[in-house]
Amino acid sequence: MTPRLLDRWLGLEARRKRLLAKAPPGPLRDFLATPFPDPATPLDRTPILAVDFETTGLEPATAHILSVGHVRMDGGEILLSSAHHMVVRSDADLDEKNVVIHQITDSHKDAGEPLESVVENLLGALAGRVMLVHFGRIEKDFLTAACKRLYGMAPLLPMIDTLYMAKRRMDMMPAGYDPSELRLFRLREHHGLPRYAAHNALCDAIATAELFLVEADLMGRKKAPPLRRVLRY
Amino acid sequence: MEIELKEIRDFIAAIPPFDRLEPGSIDRLLDKITIRYFRAGSALPPDNADEERLYIIRKGALSLRSRKGTLLGKLGESDVCTSFCLADGGDKFRVSVDEDTLAYTVDCDSLNAAVGNDSSVLAFIRNTASQRLNQAMASRQEAASASPRLTTMLVGEVMQKPAVTVDAGSSIHEAAIRMRDASVSSLIVVDNDAPRGIVTDKDITRRCVATGKSPANPVDTIMTTEMVTTSSDANAFDALMTMTRKHIHHLPVIDDNRVEGVVSISDLMRLEGRNVAYLSSAIHRAADIDTLKELSTTIPRLQVQLVNQSATPDHVGKVVTSITSALTRRLLQLAEEKFGPPPVPYAWVAAGSHARREQTSHSDQDNGMIISDALEKADEPWFEQVADFVCDGLNECGYVYCPGDVMAKNPRWRQTQSVWQGYFNSWINTPEPKALMYSSIFFDLRAIHGEATLLEQIRENMLAQTPESTLFLAHLTHNALKLRPPLGFFRDFVLIHDGKHNDTLDLKHNGIAPVVDLARIYALSEGIPAVNTIERLQAAAGTPTLSESGAANLLDALEFIGILRLEHQARQIQRDEAPDNFMSPKEISRLEREHLKDAFKVIQTMQATLESRYRM
Repeated sequence: MTPRLLDRWLGLEARRKRLLAKAPPGPLRDFLATPFPDPATPLDRTPILAVDFETTGLEPATAHILSVGHVRMDGGEILLSSAHHMVVRSDADLDEKNVVIHQITDSHKDAGEPLESVVENLLGALAGRVMLVHFGRIEKDFLTAACKRLYGMAPLLPMIDTLYMAKRRMDMMPAGYDPSELRLFRLREHHGLPRYAAHNALCDAIATAELFLVEADLMGRKKAPPLRRVLRY
Repeated sequence: MEIELKEIRDFIAAIPPFDRLEPGSIDRLLDKITIRYFRAGSALPPDNADEERLYIIRKGALSLRSRKGTLLGKLGESDVCTSFCLADGGDKFRVSVDEDTLAYTVDCDSLNAAVGNDSSVLAFIRNTASQRLNQAMASRQEAASASPRLTTMLVGEVMQKPAVTVDAGSSIHEAAIRMRDASVSSLIVVDNDAPRGIVTDKDITRRCVATGKSPANPVDTIMTTEMVTTSSDANAFDALMTMTRKHIHHLPVIDDNRVEGVVSISDLMRLEGRNVAYLSSAIHRAADIDTLKELSTTIPRLQVQLVNQSATPDHVGKVVTSITSALTRRLLQLAEEKFGPPPVPYAWVAAGSHARREQTSHSDQDNGMIISDALEKADEPWFEQVADFVCDGLNECGYVYCPGDVMAKNPRWRQTQSVWQGYFNSWINTPEPKALMYSSIFFDLRAIHGEATLLEQIRENMLAQTPESTLFLAHLTHNALKLRPPLGFFRDFVLIHDGKHNDTLDLKHNGIAPVVDLARIYALSEGIPAVNTIERLQAAAGTPTLSESGAANLLDALEFIGILRLEHQARQIQRDEAPDNFMSPKEISRLEREHLKDAFKVIQTMQATLESRYRM
């Protein structure tokens, strides 16, 4: 381990402990109480939770979370038994366009759960895991905003983002590429992964997890690279 | 189960055997599934997997091989790799990843728990696994599968070189010493390297020791001069067949009147496995119909054995046909012993698949007699008795009576050469579609016994006429196009729904017969005398009638469909069922189905080409 990365790892753990000391009792503190995976862990042995949010817009200030899907990945295997999908109950009207994309109607939404229990469930599932996302700004921003509102402080979220994994790989190629090639479905198409017709948070979380298996394989065919190579926080 | 997993659930629920699961079982199964990714070139199971697992391929391709590397099958999207779900199966297979593969996997214990009350699913999985296992075991036992096939080898590659020879002037005593020193049982007698005859240890026993002849006499006084020989560029399988047919154990290999070597039946049998040679020589020795009947029951097993040795359909067809010919010849010999020698020369001819040398073990009999024009009215009863004896005998041996009555038993097909020639002239010159439909079988004839020239003269006259007879060829084409390959697979595959063979595909009538018909038309258009379909296609390739690439594609299609048919029949025979041509698409993997679809497309294209040539 090079000193710089050691610092970084100590930094992550140090920040977790500092936040843990400040956090109020409750789901966020429980989440922070579990150590994060060691950044030296090989990627194929890192405990991961693939997460996807569907939201009504891009900014947490003006939009809110519609649904959350997540699935666990251990030892390079996506475990369907852990697949979980939650719809957030909200008073906001549904934008008609988003309803079409996400296939969530008002009646679904009414049957959903309060944001508080959705976030609690998600933090519980994330404990001790790295959050896997594709273009994770939405998930990070909305989860941070929700935590601030519910618990008065932002969480610390170690993440792997398949978009950045793909971007780093493609940046090294001599030929340029169109940024639209970094979209989840385009990357999946490029790798010959199956095309899922449905677009819901759980399906996209699984789609992201599958893409991760391919991108991680491309990074190290003989030996899986360590987590720190792709870790963001 | 989360409703959002519906897409994965639907994918799995459509694949046999999961398609017969209750919805509740599918949901329980889904809960046990993990998704894994294997890159091309890696091996299954991965090193870190210690439990038995089932792999459902979502995307990608796998190859299944025996420990020795024999390819047992290929799996593609929607196929289920069950090999690791058999208690002791895991170490007998190698599975390799041909293309990057995304798989839904489940460990076998969880699978059992999820489908616990549905025994048909478990039976399916165990069966497919054990079938693969049987195949693997069969190919392991048969070292032959690793050695080159006899049909593709030349005598020159398998002969012993140099041949042990003795000079014509040497004494019998010297010949015996030479045999002892070289540990051989026969010597080729030469005169300045030119072959004069052959002498065996039996000749020394019978013609010298037993008769009190002095061993000081020259060896050429006891040698056999009527030698059956072969050449180094002859086909090794044909050499084996020649020896079994003539009851000889050694064939001198002669090139340009020089002795190059010798090939023995035991050399070839070691390569071939014992059964074929044993069976034909037993048939030649059989004293009565009961013995022949007994021997013919081994033919289906012989076919299975050949399939397990990865013999090509062409090879299997030739072996099975050679047994049929041996049976027919033996029956004719027995008939001639019983009713006396033929009053006038005749030829016993086989028609259809027997003539083409493309039989499988359950063929009907199709035959006829071409009798010399010297036939007198008083001779007719002899031919009738012999025909009845042979046709009835074949029927007892499992070659059931021809449903179309194309048999020497039928007086219409027991006629003199002139009458036969008249039949052909009218088929060719005044063709009627319906009459032609039933007579196309007679354009595939082969003499099995008797005077082959009686048939060859007819064939020569026939082939002199057919290339010019456009109307005849047009009618033949029109009839041939009535059998079309099915259009696509599964959704658009034409399956048979007749009660007995529901949801099956008729490999013979939809796959093989159209190629046989095409090859016949090419051969008749080009005046090619061959009757074997592969030989016809090879001979017609590059003529105006058939392009080289068209011929190559048809040969591939024929071989692929032929392999599927043989494997289907082997499975039936191993289950003690009567083999047939009706295969359920579920018997084969999706990847094989894709190949089959391609094979059908080739046939369809060639049919369309011919159709445009002889548009009516």
